[in-house]
Amino acid sequence: MTAIRIDGVARAFGAVAAVRGVTLDIRDGEFFTLLGPSGCGKTTLLRMVAGFCDLDSGTIHFGERRIDTVPPHKRNAGMVFQNYAIFPNLTVNGNVAYGLKARGIVPDQIDDRAAKALKLVHLDGYGARWPHQLSGGQLQRVALARCLVIEPEVILLDEPLSNLDAKLRVEMRGEIRQLQKRLGITALYVTHDQEEAMAISDRIAVMNAGSVEQIGQPVDIYQRPATPFVARFMGTTNLLSGSVIRHEGDRAVVRAGGHDFLVGAPGIAEAEPGKAIGFSLRPEALTITAPGAKPPPGWASLEARVVRIEFLGALTRIELALDSGLVLHAAAVDMPRALAEGPVALSYDPARVTAFPGPCD
Amino acid sequence: MRLIPARSGFPLAVAAVALAFLGLFLVYPLYNVFQASFFDPSGKALTLANYVKILGTPFYRAGLINSLTVGSLATLMTIAIGVPMAFCVARLPVPAKPALLALAALPLVLPSFVGAYAWVLLLGRAGLVTQGLREIGLDGISIYGKQGLVLVYTLQTFPYVLLPTLAAFKAVDVSIEEAGQNLGATRWRVFRTVILPVVLPSVLSGGLLVFMETLENFGVPFVLAEDMPILSIQAYKLFVGEMGANPASAGVLGVLLICCTTAALLLQRYYLSKRRFATGARSVPPELVVAPWLRRLGACFAWGVVLLALVPFAAVVAISFLKFRGPVMHLEPSIGNFVLLWQRGERPLVNTLMLATGAAAGATLLGVPIGYVLTRYRSRLADLLDVVAMAPFAVAGTVLGIGLVISFNSGFLILTGGWLILVLAYMIRKLPFNVRASAAILHQIDPSLEEASINLGVSPARTFFQLTVPLMAGGVIGGTILTWVTITSELSATVVLYSGQWSTMTVEMFRALEGTGAGTAAATATVLILATILPLALIYRVLKRHEVALL
Amino acid sequence: MKFMGFRCATVIAALFAVSPALAQKQVVVYSANENTLDSLVYEAFEKATSIKVNGVSGGSGVLVKRIQTEKDRPGGDIIWGVSRSLLESNKEFFTPYKSKNVGAIPAEFRDPNDLWIGNNLHMLVILQNTKALPEGQGPKSWNDLLDPKWKGKIAFTDPANSGSAYTNATLLAQMWGNNDAAWKKVEQFFANTKVLNRSSLVFQGVGNGEYPLGVSLEYAGYLWASNGAPVKVIYPSDGTAAQMEGCAIIKGGPNTESAKAFVDFINQKDTRELILSKTFRRPTRQDLDLSKLPGNMPALAAIKIAPYDEAAWTKARPETMQKLQDIIAKTR
Repeated sequence: MTAIRIDGVARAFGAVAAVRGVTLDIRDGEFFTLLGPSGCGKTTLLRMVAGFCDLDSGTIHFGERRIDTVPPHKRNAGMVFQNYAIFPNLTVNGNVAYGLKARGIVPDQIDDRAAKALKLVHLDGYGARWPHQLSGGQLQRVALARCLVIEPEVILLDEPLSNLDAKLRVEMRGEIRQLQKRLGITALYVTHDQEEAMAISDRIAVMNAGSVEQIGQPVDIYQRPATPFVARFMGTTNLLSGSVIRHEGDRAVVRAGGHDFLVGAPGIAEAEPGKAIGFSLRPEALTITAPGAKPPPGWASLEARVVRIEFLGALTRIELALDSGLVLHAAAVDMPRALAEGPVALSYDPARVTAFPGPCD
Repeated sequence: MRLIPARSGFPLAVAAVALAFLGLFLVYPLYNVFQASFFDPSGKALTLANYVKILGTPFYRAGLINSLTVGSLATLMTIAIGVPMAFCVARLPVPAKPALLALAALPLVLPSFVGAYAWVLLLGRAGLVTQGLREIGLDGISIYGKQGLVLVYTLQTFPYVLLPTLAAFKAVDVSIEEAGQNLGATRWRVFRTVILPVVLPSVLSGGLLVFMETLENFGVPFVLAEDMPILSIQAYKLFVGEMGANPASAGVLGVLLICCTTAALLLQRYYLSKRRFATGARSVPPELVVAPWLRRLGACFAWGVVLLALVPFAAVVAISFLKFRGPVMHLEPSIGNFVLLWQRGERPLVNTLMLATGAAAGATLLGVPIGYVLTRYRSRLADLLDVVAMAPFAVAGTVLGIGLVISFNSGFLILTGGWLILVLAYMIRKLPFNVRASAAILHQIDPSLEEASINLGVSPARTFFQLTVPLMAGGVIGGTILTWVTITSELSATVVLYSGQWSTMTVEMFRALEGTGAGTAAATATVLILATILPLALIYRVLKRHEVALL
Repeated sequence: MKFMGFRCATVIAALFAVSPALAQKQVVVYSANENTLDSLVYEAFEKATSIKVNGVSGGSGVLVKRIQTEKDRPGGDIIWGVSRSLLESNKEFFTPYKSKNVGAIPAEFRDPNDLWIGNNLHMLVILQNTKALPEGQGPKSWNDLLDPKWKGKIAFTDPANSGSAYTNATLLAQMWGNNDAAWKKVEQFFANTKVLNRSSLVFQGVGNGEYPLGVSLEYAGYLWASNGAPVKVIYPSDGTAAQMEGCAIIKGGPNTESAKAFVDFINQKDTRELILSKTFRRPTRQDLDLSKLPGNMPALAAIKIAPYDEAAWTKARPETMQKLQDIIAKTR
């Protein structure tokens, strides 16, 4: 059980900087996720930790041990690959035992430990099968067992669920999380799926263009994005830009798109009037009521028209237009009764708005 | 890109061993052969005068031009035949495809000069076919000169284009084709704009092999060029001519040959580097449904080419069963040639099999790790290794042979007179095949498998031997068998390097044809064909999946 | 896969187990002869002496080149079947040996210091395929070959590749006066010929009817004719030359004593009779009765010999060869 310290790590491929000076402290036993769009450098960073990609600068430590100078096969970091990387020429048992053999474990123990590892991933009895006889989900479990059986200091998971279908993905991520907590092992996980990241992680680092934009617990990252990029990447949102007109207590009135929005984000009180800022308003923070209905005390309200309704089952997405033509997105749990296209009143708690210095692009 | 891959003892070790080997047995001998061409007669001052002199001589210029013309025409012809044929085999219901493919690779087995002699017996001025045609009033057919060279080269080397192109056609993702049609393009347009560009790299690499082979080959023009100047013959004459060798001029021609082949190699690589098409075909594209006449035409074409290419085989085998009195052939069946061959002993056959086995194994042992480093560890050092390992493609066998003799007859390492020098020459000559074959196989193996192994605590070197090699086994065995087969028909280096007890089947054939034993030569060829056909048939059994890897 | 691997290993092991056990006496012969002659003699020699012959075959140029490159550590004991001029010009690589047969061989066919000894004589002749060209219609002399009607019908060997072709071309030049007019005629002669890469291509071509005429060596004509090919040997009426082939012992070779036995053997009277009957090589020793041997070849005295200054032409070889190459290039 080990903490991972990534310190000022950078790597360029030709003229392209893949990772620019990233520093992360991953705690012992933590489930830590690198999240970001493709090409953001998250996989490169993971491969640096695994030892498959060289560092231009920076250091990586497992606990007190510096490992970026250690050859990959001596790092004792178990990795699960996106395409499973199950050896097609070995049986399930052969795959699981592979790393144990490399460590010179005596044969009796190998069988024993392999069987235990397979049991751990609910594959008891599958040892004699060949990889081509298994389904995608089963292959993923073999990959997991193969990586856990060597009792690695940390496990590295590179988009391990992206090749599975949606239902299996949800099921597997739950299992992975459970297993990780049970074994108490430090996990570094890479994904581009923000929902998956939030569901599984203790903490998330959102990466963009080789740099870390924000590190935090899922709820913070979702509710308090540090940058417009994070706000946008973590789910649908209304990103607006405007300028501060005046202050109302610790809140500010911001004019954006021809309308005044009451913004209650922390620190907004310090923004000078006239300062251009950006802010994010999550769809589910918007409440739709009948025209003229009174909002809860302290809430801001706007007049709008429902222009489109998208029923998604548990959730309904609603597209609204303000008089100026500005379009906002709202979301409601379940389908609100009597919701129809036409004029409505829109209200929100100003405290749920996140503000950023400078306009959003 | 880095000069050397960081923290990678294994690739570094492979590169170091490979470069040392190639430096000692390829670069150093070639340096010894060519250095004379850069010095004035005193041997002290560097000069380009020898080049000016040779290039200023119309005779040698004509040789260069003829060689390039014949080479280019043969390349175009093999492509013109090989590509449609590959398409027919890949996408049309041609009968007996496995047999067709097995037979199509056969032209690579017959030593080229034997094939050329066979064509003379059929299409020469007094050839059987020529005489028959003359009786029905068709005259003026000649196998000699450029047209003959192009014809024989085309029929001998078209498998180089056919096999990789076929694999490429099979790897085309059907969905690209469907997408093209879906966008409203006609079938022909889809073929021209979508499929052809995808298979082009394979076509080009096959064409390159043909071009190099025709430029370097000296057995075929030896028989068919008559007195037309041809670069490889001129070089051979200058190196070993009775008039007393002229090392400076010979070196110039050797360098010119290398320049031509290297230029072709670089041109192809430059072209390919601009275009990389990777398609991940999940299944082999289905056979096309076409009009019956078109289907029949395709089948006739494919089988026609293969059967035509096998004519010299049939001729050689038939001749070997005819009665020979001294050098004179009589049209009576006889097994006399084989009896004579039997009396001479089995040593040349044993030598051939043994040397080819040693060399094919050696080329594989060296080629597979090189191919591995080239595909898996990109760096400047790997690039250097790539260039050096491909260089033997560009070196004529005779030139390499002479270089090895000069370099290893005395001094720190003495190899002449033994079997090892032959094995080394074959290894070097066939190394590019093995490297390319290994690289092709490795492209089909997901690198994350190796990473997984390393990640599980197995060192890169052990991962290579323990995981990668078994995964490559099928393709590697196929490549090795093909190497083995082509070594058994090697002549140009052997003839310079062999010593008495290490004579091979091709040398026996060459000597017999040189002298007065055409019958024995035919019998020798027949035995060699039988001895090599078996492993060749094995290729198609062992490795259906790795056809790409064959070349 | 395992099975195959095992099989491969066994096969390889079996192959390499055949490595030669050489306790026996042996001799390494670098031979420029064609292999019918080689095997005939090697077999007879092995039977007579129990010395094993390891033959290395190649063009005489290749073999001489090899002796030169191997001079610090010779791999061969004997060079056999090469021309007088090559023997003369490479004397430094040979060791002297006075053969038992010197008495039967005229001095002109031996080195005064016994560095080499002649074995057989090749008469330069014209071969005619009588099926392609009816018997009476062939040429009678070298001069007849200049007739433009033979253009492209005469096969000849590139003098750069063949000592006898060089001798033949220079013989013609000397015969015609070795002046500008003579060389003009040589050029005319070349213009009529197909210049092939090897002498074997010439007699094979004539034998098979690829070419109606060929400028070649005497033995080839008899060999083909005696085996049923329609080939006739024409001794040109304006005279010809005898091209000698001989052998020499390579200095510092591994088996010099065996080499001496070989040199004696190949010039023995009975060996020469065997060689003549099977391969029609005219011997240098003059005590054989040719009329009683197969082929019924005419005696040397009965053939018109034209004057030929071999030493001078050997000396003038580089520039003459250049001249010939220019002529060939010009007439293509």
